[in-house]
Amino acid sequence: MMPIWTKSGERHAVTLLKVQDCHVLKYISKEESGGKTAKLLVGGKNLSPFSKPESAHQIFKEAGVPRKQKVTSFSVTDDAIIKPGTPLYAAHFRPGQFVDVTAKTIGKGFQGVMKRWGFKGQPASHGQTKTHRRPGAISTNKAAKVYRGKKMPGKMGNIYRTTFGLKVWRINTKHDIIYVNGCVPGHTNCLVKVRDSKLPTCKESNKNPPFPTFFADGDEKLPEDLFDEEIFQFTEPSVTYT
Amino acid sequence: CRASSDGKPEKFQPPPKPVIIDKQKQRAERRFLSPEFIPPRGRTDPLKYYMERKDMIQRRKVFNIPEFYVGHVLAVTTADPYANNKSNRFVGICIQRGGKGLGATFVLRNVIEGQGVEICYELYSPRIQAIEVLKLEKRLDDNLMYLRDALPEYSTFDMNMKPVPHLDDEEVRVNKLQVRMKPKPWSKRWERPKYNIKGIKFELPESKMKEAQKWSQPWLEFDMLREYDTSKIEEQIWKELNEELKK
Repeated sequence: MMPIWTKSGERHAVTLLKVQDCHVLKYISKEESGGKTAKLLVGGKNLSPFSKPESAHQIFKEAGVPRKQKVTSFSVTDDAIIKPGTPLYAAHFRPGQFVDVTAKTIGKGFQGVMKRWGFKGQPASHGQTKTHRRPGAISTNKAAKVYRGKKMPGKMGNIYRTTFGLKVWRINTKHDIIYVNGCVPGHTNCLVKVRDSKLPTCKESNKNPPFPTFFADGDEKLPEDLFDEEIFQFTEPSVTYT
Repeated sequence: CRASSDGKPEKFQPPPKPVIIDKQKQRAERRFLSPEFIPPRGRTDPLKYYMERKDMIQRRKVFNIPEFYVGHVLAVTTADPYANNKSNRFVGICIQRGGKGLGATFVLRNVIEGQGVEICYELYSPRIQAIEVLKLEKRLDDNLMYLRDALPEYSTFDMNMKPVPHLDDEEVRVNKLQVRMKPKPWSKRWERPKYNIKGIKFELPESKMKEAQKWSQPWLEFDMLREYDTSKIEEQIWKELNEELKK
């Protein structure tokens, strides 16, 4: 995470996400997937092909791509279908867009009820016998049962969670890095799924993306760094107020 | 010409060659790599530190961040939207330098009209308009947080102080001042060996000093897992810095 300053002198914290060898693996049509839209399978981060059996390499061989560590599906409209095997780059996103980031949270192991659900526990003194971090009562008398989904101790973390509506501040096309506002679930160097935001307030900002994606061998030559309009560039002199 | 005692003419002895001490070269040998460039030990990708360093070098090309250590007296002018002249000047002694990368900070302390004031500035913030070094002197410690519990005379500096002239010599002077403290209780137990403070004149009885040594951890300096050898990393970063700044 890094600080970033705007032209008015405000400071925001930013997470760096690197797009590492992302390729489109497969196209699943609407009828096949059984959903409302077609799906595209995308894989990221190359790995060695020797640690998995041949049967697992089927999808990668068809797309002509080395084995990937993570495969996710994106639901796409019919006009945004991309041919399997095309590489995807960070320039797929532009500064000023809003983005949802999904990842597996840091695993905390088996945790008690105070850390996992934020219960208040009991006082440390004043006669409490062996009861300082326990849940206390788990149900009422009339219910005569414990409801399903009751918050209790258990394994915490290591589940998929999404943060919505993160602004993209800057994109580095040379190293394929996306600078995303705020924090993102997961530990450092973990694999993360980045998707255009579905929030109704962010619809306007996501109006003109590179459609269907940014093709590196196309005619467009982008500069090495793409900045949002409000970012303070370090090549400018210091901020002054008038 | 003089005749020698032998009677033979002496062989011409040329005068000794003058040894030219090139002071500029000596100055260039003194390296100072700002501590925020050294990446901390961790599992992050070095690419992240490379990107941060590029931004830091960009900022340094436009704005001059002078070399300073903890113990220097600095004057910082920042842009303030709520001040009269839209700028704010603060003079103080640097008591701590923390943070790595773009978020590197330094804390300046001064006592204004009897009230101690500490302001934490970010080195690379665009709101800073000028940093001037008024007095160059290193102290015996890296962290002068104990000035909070010292007598206020050690933290007072005149707001309109003139910069003390300093030749561009080899070494920055180390001030071996031993600071006198206010009576206990202090904010931290500075006599304990974990803080390793050499710049305080402890006027505590011997028994208290002995009791403080109970918390010493003499095995820490031999702990090999805590070693972090930064010499090679520093060399690389120094080369990279110099190449970029010359452009």
